[in-house]
Amino acid sequence: MSSDYRLALDNCIKCSICVSHCPVARVTDQFAGPKQNGPDLERFRLEEPAAVHPSVGYCTNCKGCDVVCPSGVAVSAMNCRARGEYVSMHGAPLRDKILARVDRMGRAARLAPSLVNRLAGLRPLRLLAEKMLGISAAMIMPRYAQKTFLELYKPQNVGDTGRKVLYYPGCYVNYNAPEVGLALAEVLAHNNIRVEVEQFDCCGLPLIANGLLDTARDQAKKNLAKLQGYINRGYDIVTTCPSCHLTLRQEYRELFQLNTDPLHEKMLDVFEYLSVLLQQGKLVTRFEELPLQVGYHRPCHLKAAGCGVPSREILQLIPGLRVADLDAGCCGLAGTYGFKKEKYAISQAIGRNVFNAVKELGVRQAISECGMCQLQIHHLTGVAVYHPLQVLAQACGHGKWLAK
Amino acid sequence: MNKYTDVLIIGAGLSGLMAAAKAAEQGKKVMLVAKGMGAVGLSSGCIDLWGYNLEDPNQVCQDPLAEIARLCAVNPQHPYARVRDVLEESLLFFRRVCQENGYPYLDHRGGNWLLPTALGTLRPTYLAPASMALGDLQQVRGVLVVGFRELKDFYPDVLAANLKKSGVLQANCPLNTLMVCAGGGELTPNTLAHRLENPVVVDRIVDQIKPHLLPGAVLLLPPVLGERWDSQVAKNLAEKLGHPVYEVANIPPALPGQRLQQMLLHHVKGRGVEVVIGCTVNGARVADKRCTEVLATGAGKPIKISAKTVILATGSFLGGGLESKPGKAWESIFRLPVETGHEKWSARDFLSMAGHLFNQMGIKVNEHLRPVDKTGEVIIENVMVTGANLAGCNHPIEKCGNGVAVASGYKAGKLAGEVGE
Ligand SMILES: Cc1cc2nc3c(=O)[nH]c(=O)nc-3n(C[C@H](O)[C@H](O)[C@H](O)COP(=O)(O)OP(=O)(O)OC[C@H]3O[C@@H](n4cnc5c(N)ncnc54)[C@H](O)[C@@H]3O)c2cc1C
Ligand code: SF4
Ligand code: SF4
Repeated sequence: MSSDYRLALDNCIKCSICVSHCPVARVTDQFAGPKQNGPDLERFRLEEPAAVHPSVGYCTNCKGCDVVCPSGVAVSAMNCRARGEYVSMHGAPLRDKILARVDRMGRAARLAPSLVNRLAGLRPLRLLAEKMLGISAAMIMPRYAQKTFLELYKPQNVGDTGRKVLYYPGCYVNYNAPEVGLALAEVLAHNNIRVEVEQFDCCGLPLIANGLLDTARDQAKKNLAKLQGYINRGYDIVTTCPSCHLTLRQEYRELFQLNTDPLHEKMLDVFEYLSVLLQQGKLVTRFEELPLQVGYHRPCHLKAAGCGVPSREILQLIPGLRVADLDAGCCGLAGTYGFKKEKYAISQAIGRNVFNAVKELGVRQAISECGMCQLQIHHLTGVAVYHPLQVLAQACGHGKWLAK
Repeated sequence: MNKYTDVLIIGAGLSGLMAAAKAAEQGKKVMLVAKGMGAVGLSSGCIDLWGYNLEDPNQVCQDPLAEIARLCAVNPQHPYARVRDVLEESLLFFRRVCQENGYPYLDHRGGNWLLPTALGTLRPTYLAPASMALGDLQQVRGVLVVGFRELKDFYPDVLAANLKKSGVLQANCPLNTLMVCAGGGELTPNTLAHRLENPVVVDRIVDQIKPHLLPGAVLLLPPVLGERWDSQVAKNLAEKLGHPVYEVANIPPALPGQRLQQMLLHHVKGRGVEVVIGCTVNGARVADKRCTEVLATGAGKPIKISAKTVILATGSFLGGGLESKPGKAWESIFRLPVETGHEKWSARDFLSMAGHLFNQMGIKVNEHLRPVDKTGEVIIENVMVTGANLAGCNHPIEKCGNGVAVASGYKAGKLAGEVGE
């Protein structure tokens, strides 16, 4: 389906299915909802770009509306453009500009990660940040790792399978959760595949979500050019973050009209990649027993990628492991959204279902592919949350990947 | 990406979900892909089986199963004629799944319920969720219709006036209305339902209602009592009031249909079905009358899915299962033929009692739900068709939409479950 078609207004049959599935519209009346902010107002915006409802800032860009729409309308892309329009007219608050630059924050934190972590946990400072900037004092901050993934990663010596894999780690893995990238390297090494890494720009999703589309477009072009280079040299590209994955593959095309076709066959969620190996009979399925029950949370952006739950098939191969689907919808954090003072309560209200599901299933550990979902689930429930790759790496037998 | 599965179901409406539940129960590896959500989330949430008498369409049908048996004799082209063998067991299966998930559906001693709508009219239906299953209105000793200031599209006075006119209530039955406040603002059914999940808000509503309650009264409310199927709002409200409360059918988006959809999705996921919504099937490869591969796109990325059995549960024109241009209609994935006839596709009146021809369009199938051509020859052997995609029924008039979806989805799932290795 071409993006023109997906954007076309006339496809909207006004069924309101998107409204009834929008996690934000469900919990607050401050948001006019996907239908109104999307196809309804888009009609006016075609004539008058300023016809943006200010409540468009309440959309989390979870893409739930796109997923459920029976007519294939790209509601969230309309919302993103509208927000971009709004921000270019009215400017973005300093807070949003800071939050949107997770890459810069990560680089800044490199100077003294422990100090940054400590400061970020100090109550008086948090209150100050809430007052001065509007960053919620109640939300926990992601911790910065002592060393980035790119610093920590050492190529392992593995047999030659002829497979070339480049890993796009994304900012969160690089600065905050390098263990996920290392787990990926471990799992692929288990299959005699070596991982290549390189410094990329942030995929730009936080910028897009905060309406800073121009900067995001520049980064998109740079990233695509670099990725194309690897594809030309016969590499498969794997990702571990559903949001980076979706942004590179879909948002670049839908929002910036960039050609992402080459990525479709070549860029895979790492579990999709492993599934391909499994189908070809080339996956090393020698796993240690893991007597564990975990709750699985499906990130919205994985849902939006329309590829199912790639980790499921692989995790089923681990003896002893039981994975229970939390099936609780959006966790509510939505990247930078839940850190905003005026949105924190909304984000917590959305996440209530996740809290209930964890309680009901009585699980002590949870897994989810998205780093931000992990943070939120931990914040909501207190349980330890891992990337499914950490579970898989544990089952591959070397190291303690589930220690927290 | 390539995917392999025993049973591939295309469509996440009621018929697709039923097929998934049944096939998974028989131990098959099942995958369900859909472009978006189905019509069940827009429906009242009630399962209509057969609404009115065949000979006299003004008379509510007292025994839908018997009426369907007669229908199949006079109209062997009706989808029910293809699923009659499993009709009763499909309804039992549906009710068992609902029961197991704590969201029971009730029948009315084998007849039709006659349930009030938000407009105060009465509509026949076969199965209703417990929160809507209001028994005989004739027996009721008082009615209080409660609306919410925050909610548009529900006017207690309209409901009450029309209900009075309908003549079902006893002449001396008191019928009152009341507007309550759930905390201000302007709310959609979903937002209001969310607010009502908070016990403090429910207590406030109870306080507002209590002074207006007459002994023996039942309460009629808009369908907003609880967001999810496992919500306790209706139950708590009734307990705190000491009076039974019922949700009436309302225009979409109404919560009961959404709850049914959520519950079934939850059920099939729990049974190991891989559910992929937001994935459009654009075409298929067919060789030697067998579908070898289905071609889909999720977020722009091509996915190929092979399956032993494919169940086409893509609905009608609404969700894109059927497509059309002037004078021509076709099924959108396999390009199966859709007969359009020579008459006009729609009647002049939107609410015509004769119904619109476009509602009857769809795929012709044999008794195994396989698509057939004009001569009755099977077109594709490992494909089965269900629900609103089937030709020959006129659900808005006949009141059989969800009934056909339940029975045909169940039958397809059952047949798929019997396909050998
Ligand atoms: C507004 C409304 C109210 C109704 N109210 C009632 C009621 O109260 N009681 C009652 O009994 N009946 C009611 N009906 C009728 C009833 O809901 C439907 O007949 C029935 O649910 C149809 O179910 P289905 O599974 O066949 O199709 P649908 O529910 O239409 O589902 C079709 C599915 O297929 C998907 N799909 C379509 N094309 C593709 C593709 N190319 N690739 C992937 N997926 C695709 C769609 O996204 C969707 O998930 C109502 C119908 C409507 C529209
Ligand atoms: S779900 Fe799609 S068709 Fe329905 S109102 Fe929303 S955008 Fe329009
Ligand atoms: S992207 Fe998510 S939050 Fe935004 S309108 Fe759509 S469903 Fe609502």
